[in-house]
Order: sequence, then C-alpha cells, then structure tokens
Amino acid sequence: MSNLAVLPIIIPLISAIILIFFNSKVTISRGLTKLFSLISLGVAGYIFWYVLENGTIILETGGWAAPYGIILVVDSLAAILVLTTNIIAVACAFYAPHTGLQKRENFYFYPLFLFLITGVSGAFITGDLFNLFVFFEVLLMASYGLIVLGGDKVQLRESLKYLLINLFSSMLFVTAIAFLYAVVGTVNMAHIAERVQEVEQQGILTAIGILLFFVFATKAALFPLYYWLPKSYVVPNPVVSALFGALLTKVGIYSILRVFSLIFVYNIELTHELFIWIAGLSMIFGVIGALSTNNIKLIIAYNIIPAIGFIILGIGVLNQDALSGSIYYLVHDMIIKSALFLLVGVVAYVAGTSDLRKMGGLIHYYPFLGWMLFVAAFVLAGIPPFSGFIGKLLLLKGAFADGEVVIVIIGLLTSLLILYSIMKIFINGFWGDKDTMGEFKKKSTKGLYTPIVFLLALSVILGVGAEYFYPIVDSVAAYLLDPDIYIDSVLKE
Amino acid sequence: MIFAVLIPLLIACFIPFISKIKHKIHTGYFVFFVPFLIFLYFIQFIGEGFNPIRQTVNWIPSLGINFDFYLDGLSLLFVLLISGIGALVVLYSIFYLDNQERLGHFYVYLLMFMTAMLGVVLSDNIFVLYTFWELTSISSFLLIGYWHFKERSRYGALKSMIITIFGGLSMFGGFILLSVITGTTSIQEMITQTDVILASDYLPLILGFILLGAFTKSAQFPFHIWLPDAMEAPTPVSAYLHSATMVKAGIFLVARFSPIFSTYEWFFIIVSLVGIITLCWGSYMAVRQTDLKAILAFSTISQLGMIMAMLGFGTQAAVFAAVFHILNHATFKGSLFMVAGIIDHETGTRDIRKLGGLLTLMPMTATLALFGTFSMAGVPLPFLNGFYSKELFFGSTLGLEANALSQAIPYLAVLGSIFTFVYSMYFFFGVFTGPKQFKLLPKKPHEAPIGMLISPIVLVIGVVVIGLFPSLVNAPFLLHAAEAVNSAVEFEQISFWHGFKTPLFMSLAVVGIGTLLVLTRKKWNSVYTVLPGKLSFNKVYDKLLEKIDTYSANITNYYMNGSLKTYMSLILGTTLVVTFSFMLLTDGFTMKFDNLADITILELSVVLIMIIAAIATVFMNHNVAAILVLGVVGFGVAILFVIYRAPDIALTQLVVETISVALFLLCFYHLPKLKKSTDSARTKLVNATIAVGFGALMTVIGISAHSSNWFDSISEYFLETSYTLGGGDNVVNVILVDMRGLDTLFEIAVLGIAALAIIGLIKHKKKKGAE
Amino acid sequence: MEIIISVLAGILFATAIYNILQKQLLRIVIGTALLSHGAHLFIFTMGKLKTGQPPVLTEGVTDYTDPLPQALILTSIVISFGVTSLLLVLAYRTTKENNTDNMEQLRGGENE
Repeated sequence: MSNLAVLPIIIPLISAIILIFFNSKVTISRGLTKLFSLISLGVAGYIFWYVLENGTIILETGGWAAPYGIILVVDSLAAILVLTTNIIAVACAFYAPHTGLQKRENFYFYPLFLFLITGVSGAFITGDLFNLFVFFEVLLMASYGLIVLGGDKVQLRESLKYLLINLFSSMLFVTAIAFLYAVVGTVNMAHIAERVQEVEQQGILTAIGILLFFVFATKAALFPLYYWLPKSYVVPNPVVSALFGALLTKVGIYSILRVFSLIFVYNIELTHELFIWIAGLSMIFGVIGALSTNNIKLIIAYNIIPAIGFIILGIGVLNQDALSGSIYYLVHDMIIKSALFLLVGVVAYVAGTSDLRKMGGLIHYYPFLGWMLFVAAFVLAGIPPFSGFIGKLLLLKGAFADGEVVIVIIGLLTSLLILYSIMKIFINGFWGDKDTMGEFKKKSTKGLYTPIVFLLALSVILGVGAEYFYPIVDSVAAYLLDPDIYIDSVLKE
Repeated sequence: MIFAVLIPLLIACFIPFISKIKHKIHTGYFVFFVPFLIFLYFIQFIGEGFNPIRQTVNWIPSLGINFDFYLDGLSLLFVLLISGIGALVVLYSIFYLDNQERLGHFYVYLLMFMTAMLGVVLSDNIFVLYTFWELTSISSFLLIGYWHFKERSRYGALKSMIITIFGGLSMFGGFILLSVITGTTSIQEMITQTDVILASDYLPLILGFILLGAFTKSAQFPFHIWLPDAMEAPTPVSAYLHSATMVKAGIFLVARFSPIFSTYEWFFIIVSLVGIITLCWGSYMAVRQTDLKAILAFSTISQLGMIMAMLGFGTQAAVFAAVFHILNHATFKGSLFMVAGIIDHETGTRDIRKLGGLLTLMPMTATLALFGTFSMAGVPLPFLNGFYSKELFFGSTLGLEANALSQAIPYLAVLGSIFTFVYSMYFFFGVFTGPKQFKLLPKKPHEAPIGMLISPIVLVIGVVVIGLFPSLVNAPFLLHAAEAVNSAVEFEQISFWHGFKTPLFMSLAVVGIGTLLVLTRKKWNSVYTVLPGKLSFNKVYDKLLEKIDTYSANITNYYMNGSLKTYMSLILGTTLVVTFSFMLLTDGFTMKFDNLADITILELSVVLIMIIAAIATVFMNHNVAAILVLGVVGFGVAILFVIYRAPDIALTQLVVETISVALFLLCFYHLPKLKKSTDSARTKLVNATIAVGFGALMTVIGISAHSSNWFDSISEYFLETSYTLGGGDNVVNVILVDMRGLDTLFEIAVLGIAALAIIGLIKHKKKKGAE
Repeated sequence: MEIIISVLAGILFATAIYNILQKQLLRIVIGTALLSHGAHLFIFTMGKLKTGQPPVLTEGVTDYTDPLPQALILTSIVISFGVTSLLLVLAYRTTKENNTDNMEQLRGGENE
C-alpha cells in the first residue's frame, strides 16, 4: 500500500497536464478541475484514514532504500495537511468558475491551480530536504503563474516583488541545504535528524538551522520577513488569494514545524526562545497591519501574519499542549483563511470596491453574506465554540505551563484586535442605511456561497466536534515530540 | 436542565420561519412561552430544603470541556431572574415593538442571549462558561446594533463588544491559568483546591484576569463607559440585558469565585474599592444626564458597583445583602426601564428637559414610576424592597477589618446613596410633575395600552411583596444563594425596624441631604455640567480607538512602503544579524585546513577573474558590457566545474549560460539603458554594508560547514551501487534519473509551469493589444 | 582551495545583493543571476573539490568526486533557469505596463 503516498502528488500533476490540453475550452476545464479535485480529495481522505489506522506510509521512490533515494513519508501530520489542502482545493475549484473572470480562466488558470496543489502536497509529503526545495519551486512557480494572471499594472508590479523576494529565499534555501550536506553528508530528513542528534547539534549546525528557519520564515510570512505578503496577496483574484493565504504561508510554517521538531531540537533554549519572540512580534505587527487599512482584502491578508504567529508560538514552546495547539490552529487557519478570502472576494465583487469607506448597508441586499462574514470573524478570533478556540486554548495552555505569561497576554490582546479588524468590515460594510451606497444594482452571487458555506461549516465542526479531532491532533503532537519515531520509521532501524 | 438551557437556542432556529409565515400575529407571543416555561420549571426548586443539583453532558471530554451544569442557590437566583424577567420583557416587547420591525432578528438575538445567559450561570465548567459568556457579548452586540442604520447604534454596539470581549478574553486567560494550576476545569473542584490556588505564584495574575472579565461585563469603573451607549438598543433589551441580567454576569462571576479568593487580601481591596468608586461615580454621573435611559444606565452602573462592593467585603452580612440586592435591583430597575420605554413610546422623547407634568395624563405609569424610584432611592417605607437591601448595605459597610480603606467606605457609601436619592427623585418629579410643556413633545402623550403596563406592574408588585414579606424569599431562596458565595452565612430575619442604629442614621442622612440637594438643584446644575469635563473615560476610549487606527496606519505605512529595497534590506538585515548572533552564541565558527584541495595558478586566476567580473557588474553602466561581465561570471562557474571534474554540470551550465545570455540580450535590448546610480553616499554605504555582511556570513558558514564534516557522505553508496543497481556508469546521471528521479520529474514540471506562465503573460499582452 | 571558492561564492552573494538593492530593474535582474551562481558554487564546494576522477565509473578507479552535489546543482541550475526566464519576461512586461524600470516608482498606494 505504500504507493498510496505518491497519489496526492501524482493525481494533481497528471490532472494539470491533461488540463493544459483543454485550455481553450473553459467549460471542460471547469468540469474536469472539479472532478479531479474531488478525486484527489477522496484519495486524500482515504490516505488520512489509512494512516490513522495503519501508521505512517513510507514510499522509497524508485526502490532506493532510505536514506539514499527520495523517500515520501505520509505520517499523520502530512496526512492531515494533505487532506486539508485538498478540501480547500475543492472549495476553490467550485468557486473559481463563478468569479466572473472568464477572461483569465483560459490563461492556464486551472493547470496552474493544480500544479500549485501538486507542489503543496509534495512539500507536505516529502521526506527529503532537497526534494522539499524542488516542491517549493513547483508551488512557487505555479504561484508566479497565478499571481500574474490578468496582467494588470498593479499585479505585474506586485508579482515582480513577490517573485524577487522568493527567488532570493529559494537560493538561500539551496545554499543552506548544501551547508547542511557538508556537515552531515546527507539530505534525507530522517538521516539528517539522526546525525544531528548524534553530534547534539554542536558547532555550526545551529547557525545553519537558523538560516533554514529564515528561509522558511520568509515563505511563512513571519515577523520581520512578511513584507512581500500583504500587497501581493491582494492583487490577484479571490481564488488565488485564498489559495495563497491558505496554502503558501502554511507550507512555510509546516517546514519550520517539521525541521524544528525533528532535526534542530537540541538547542531549544536558543532557537525556540527566538521563535516565541518572533511569535509575539508577528502577532503585534500583523494585527497592527490589519488595523491600518480600509481595504478589506488587505485586512484579511494582514491577518495571515498573527495567525502564523500563533502557530509558531506552539513550535517555540514545544510541549504537548502547545504543539497540538499549533497543529489545530494550522488546520483551522488554512480553512478559515481561505473562507475569508473567498468571502471578501464576494464582498468586493458585489460592492464594486474593496475600500471600506465606500461601503455600507450591504446587509439589506446580501444578508446571508453578511452573516457568513459575522460568523467567520468569530471563528478567526478564536471565540468558542468555533475551531480557532480549541487551537488557541491549547496554545495558551501550553504557553502558560511553560511560564510564558507575556506572550499569552499578547495573544489574548491580538485576538481582540483581530476580531475588531474583521468586525470593522461587518459594521461599516454591512450595517447602515439601505441607501448608503446610493443607487445599488444587485449582482448575482450564484455559486459563490456554496464553497464558503462548506468551509465555514467545517470550521464550526472542527470546533464543536473537537472531541473527534483533538485526540488525533494530540497523538500527532506526541509523535512530533519524539523525533526517534520518525527517524526509525524512515530508516527502518 | 441542559434542555432548559438549550431550548431558547433551538426555538431561535425556528423563529425566522415563524415570523415569515405568521405575519399577522406578533412573533413575541410565540417567544413568550419559552422563558415562561423555563421559569415555571425552575421555580419548583425554591424551598428551604434545596440541595444543589448537578448534571453532566459530555462535549469534549478529552479537553475537559463538558456541559457540567450545577444548580445551586446562586445559579437558581440568576436563572429565575433570567427567565422571569425574560418572560416579562418579551411580553412588554410585544407592545413596544411594531410588527413592521424585523422581529425575527430581534427574537432570535434575544433567545440566543437567553441560552447564553442561562449557560453562564449554570456552567460549572470554566470553558463552557466562557463560551456562553462570549455568546452573551455577541448577542448583546447584535441587540445594541439592532437599529444599525443609526450611527450611535453602531458606535454603541462596537464599544460594548470591544470592552466586553476584551474582558472575556482576559477572563479566559485567567481560566486557562486556573486549569493549568489545578488540573481541573470544574469550578466546584477548584474550590476544593483553594489552598493550591492561593499558594500559586500566578495568584495575582489570575485574580487580575478574572476581575477584568467581571468588571468589564458589569460595567465597573472605568469600564462602565460602554453601558450608557448600549442604551441605543430597544428599551426591552436595555431592561433585560443591560440592567437585570447580562451586566450582572460580572457580579455572578465574582460571587462564584468568592469562595476561592475571599481570603486573599487583594481581592477585598480591589473589589471593594472598584465597587465603591463605581457606586459614587455612577450615581454622580446619573444626576447630570438628561436622557431618561441614560439616567437609568448610570444608575445601573452605580447599583452594580454597590453589589460589587458588598461582594468585596465578603462578610456574611455583606454577601447576604448583595444577593438580596441583586433580586431587588432587578425588580425596581426593570420596572423603571419599562416605564422609560413607555414614556418614550407615548411621548416620542426621552429628554427629561422636555418632559414634565405627565402625572395626570399617565397616572398608571406614574404610580409605577413612583414605586420604582422610591425603592431605588431607598426611601424608608416598609413596602419598598430597595430600602431593606440598602439598609443591609449600610450595615455591612460598618465593622469591616480596620484599615484606611474600610474607614472610608461608610462615608463613600453614604455619598453614593445621596446621589442615588437625588437622581431617583429627579427622574420621578422631572417627568411627572412640574410645568406641562406638551408642545415640545413629538407625540401627544397618553396612557400606555394595558398590555405594555402588565410587565412593569408585575415587577412593582414584586417590589411591594418583597418589601412587605421579605421572609417569603429569605430562607427558601436568598439564604441558599448567599451560602453558595460564603458558606458561613447563617439565617437572619430581615426586618424593617432595627432600632436606632448607625445604618438608620445613614439612611436618614441620605434622605435629608438628598432632599436638600433636590430642592436646590438649580444651584448645582453648573457643578454637574462642569465635572468631570475632560476627565471622561469615553474620551479615553474614543481616543484610544482613533489612535489605534492612526498609529497602526502610520506604523504600517512606514515600513510597508512598497519599496522592494526596503523589504529586502529589512529581510537581509534581520537574517544577517540574527544568524550571526546565533553563530557567536553557539560558537559555530570552525576552520580546518586539512583535507582541502590544492591551490593552483589556473584555478586562482579563474577565481580572480570571476571576482573582478562580479564586482564589475556593480559599476557597469552599459547594457552590453553588463551582460558581458555577467557572462564572464557564468562561464567562470562552468570552467570551475570543468576543473573540478564535474562534466555534466559544466555542460549544463554552459548551455544554460548561453541561452541565458541570449535571453538577457533580448530583454536588455527592450529595457531602458543602465544609468549611473543616483543613490546618496549614505545609501550606498548601507547597501554595501548589508551586501558585504551577508556575503561574509555565507562564506563563514560555508567554511565552518565544510570544516565540520563529521560524517561520511551518502554518496559512497551511490558510487557503489550506481552500476550494480542503477545500471549506469555515469553516477550523476543515475542519481538524477533513478535515485532522485522525483527531483528531476518535478524540475521538468517547474520548467513546464514557467513556460505556461510565460505564455500566459505574453498572450495577455496580445489580447490587450487587440482590445 | 575550498576556502577560496567559499570566499568567491561569498563575494558573488555580496555583489548579487548589492545589485538587488539598486533601484533599476536591470541591475536587480543581474543580481539574481549572480545569486544563483553563488548558490551553485556553494553547493559545489560543499562536496569535496577535486579528490578524484569525475563520477563516471571507470574500471580501476576508486577515487571519484562527490556525485550528489553535482546532481543537486543540475536540478538547481535548471530550476533557476526557469525562474530567470520568467523573471525576464515579467520584468519586461512590468516595465512596459508601468512605463518605468525604477523599482522605487513601483511602490503603489493602498487601495488599488
């Protein structure tokens, strides 16, 4: 059954290639994309179940034993994230045809979309550091393709910055891999972990680790490396923003989680303390950013940063509760961020502007949209009983148990301000007189709501039904805290 | 019990349908039965032999989050208030709100609130309590913003939400700490671990967190500012949420945790002090209001302060008085809010300056108001319950443990009560007596319909009955509630006449000075309007919010300036500084000279040429020249590959370099010519520092990494097995296509995607050109 | 020699970064090209330089250079090539659309 591991990568890859040939036929492209993303979701669901039942799936590609060949490792963490990725992919696949962007669709939108999913899934699954770099490139290249779709002035401008900064961090990534290779003589993550453990992460290893951290932190948009994010996430169409917001930064944070729970865990007083600081600063500056603007898309984009801050907090604290909190929050944030991007996409579309100062009274025309945003705001801020609450509870509990009081206070205040930043959209955009926006022509929102409802419902289920999910996440955290399990399962010792 | 809590929420789900189908019948009639039946259900528990009941339904047991409902005297008191007043308010709202309003929304929010509030007072599980707590804030937000087309409504809604959710989150922090320390999520179990909590280092933090939650919710000074603005909500809501129930959630919280904290000195100091300040400040501020509902809002603030202060005292007498006053306040304040609503409804204004002389026109309303205000003022009459609890309050301020604070408390209590007396009288006489200036009113005033009067009448009957027969509620009801707060409370008769003791003199002083102040009110008007002037905490809130917006915009725009250079410099600078410090901290630098390749002239000269070429790129101001020097670097790399026995990559590098140069030429041809840099010397220096620093960092790490090769490379394996297992002589090729075939597959994918993206870009241009 | 190559790669990084920090788009593009050269040299150096024959199995030879970094560089070169080509097209299009090749003029405002 180990061949299962390759499916989440291969299915979108093949689908993408097939779709290239249907580029000019938009209807077929749409249908096929929906179909393929559903198939992929089904497979991801099966893999998730399989991993929970039977443990980690390990695939030695080409039959080359670890650590020599490239190993694909679908452990419980990867399985959860691949599943979440596919859920978001399905939502986006069903949302995309309705965004009124037909013009852009036949510029290889769907193939690029599926390539992105390929890259993201690959990054979650691979057990090889250099291969991780390759998958990073796959998803980045797809993201470059997606972000320029449309080719507006603004888009081109922001894409250029986005590309340049990512190009730099990619180059730093390969170099850091090379440094690591020089020291430990291998690029297989389990093998690296084993060898780093053997020498107790002495000498130059910590510095290389930090270099890697900065590479990932740039992708993850952590303080103070997130400058590229807000504006470049705002310019493309809502589907692309949702994909970026939900997936790209999360791949970065996943890499940090993986590398700093598996490999570099022997100098925690230094490295992980740094993470806690960065977590606090990311929360503060991220939410300040969210409050600084009246552009509703930017508000959501900035909100990515404090969320990443919460996740890295758990990695920094690195105990059972905090780590399960991080994982819970990670999944929660992937879902709610994509939902929010899709939501404000609709809001900006129906309002004809993304400037909050020009909006008002939308609830008279789009009550359902308004209430969805209302719920989403509470989900995002971590108000119970929604999904953000469980993650936040675990994170803060873990941080308290570790004596990190200041960060908890920052976290609580940040939650309040996050809520405020989204509520601003609700109060100023939806509340108000019916004729705030003058003559108003109602636009059709057909097909746009279903994917959002789907994602929001999941968020609610993740919160209310935490009893079903928490034990899984808890066991993942326990598993991550013991790197030997991963090492042994890959190296078969 | 759990059913009773959740039923309003369940019914709420059906309300939108009901209100759509049954247009003719006011939705309120359907809603009324919900709180009424809950009230009937819970009233059976009243009795002297009452024992706490516990019921558990699992929710997230693995996190210790369960619906642990615990009904003791304290929760019973609140449950009955919530359902009882709830039923009356719904009844009242049927006549208050027109059928044309969006009633569906209104009742959904109201029912949501009911569930939330019942949940708060019944939950023994801290996290479930917190869940319901936030739900009360949310439903309150929606109800305040019910008329959201009004600017003031939106403002008030946002304010209440920010302040109460701020408190809620803080309380949540406290709860997490408690659960970490005690290892349980049940309040009752925490009470059994009081010594553990009191011994914890985090005790001040826990107390602070929880009290912040309580103070914000119960509108204690200086967080009281949201309550007056919450009066934008429809009056039934104000009567219900913002006077009788929700604002008492903070009181409830303090009462609930009293058994844990009461022996902690700071609990007494903070809670009593905040309570007593709130009492004085609230009642003083009430005097200067002109809006009827604003008077009542500040009055509520001050009464809540009074109850809070009593909980702070924590003595038997004080706790009992607090519990008693919770009940009394709900009755008289509820009725007064409804009276204010009636006046607003029938005259069209709530401005006390326009009102006057309504006594003859609205005799019923006036009678109700009379009972309400006089009870609130604590006028010593045997049929007013307000007097009893005020008397008990005065009694409890005396004989506290001697310290500076407890010395001052009785005086402050009297001071606050004087103002209470003043605004109560002002409210009644200002509206119902005095000059009749009906022309100023938007509507022609008349008595309210009987339906609207039922609810306040019921409440006023409550005022009188409790006043006349306090023993009806004492032993079967209040005693249990007080016991839940302080287990030492013993039964004591409530009587009207205590003899000539200090509390009586305090009451008399209040009435005396109060009357004097009322009679000479005109002279004081200027004082009331001047103080507190700029000291208003509203302004602090407004400024804070405004500043948050502007500062965040300033800060963000400062560094998020859209300049790639700024971004890159910040990213590079941070990476450089942090990585370098980590290297120093971990003693990372090593350099070994053994096992190095020899240095030959050939290689050295290649390296030198490359260095010169690389540096030249910085200074070249001509397109072609720049490409040439760049090409030199690229081909230099290829030569190095050749020298060091890497034929495959050397070839690839050559090919790629050639194509790249061609591409560059193509692109450079179209791009504007290179210009001489116009940066200032300082900018250049900064850039150069970052650049050189980063280059140095990479070199240093590179050398150190290379010098610490503690392990054999896995490459040995590749060399051994390339032929036997991989079937190829060229190991690099075998690695690429076999051992690391996946890399190669996706490397090709990357190229393909790049091609797609490029086609996309170019096609777009064509399309645009065609348009 | 490894040390010297490391220094060279470091210098490539430094010049690359200096170029990237310039305003003119062209210089930035040059910078990225230098950057990938630097990175590849680093990978190359991190294997052993010249301790044997090219890694093409030949009878009687037991001493080869390290094949793995070479394989990695190959992958990386191809990927960089892809990115660079896209970058060039994007740079060209951006310049044409926005009528400037000065990155400082490509900042943009808040609500676009």
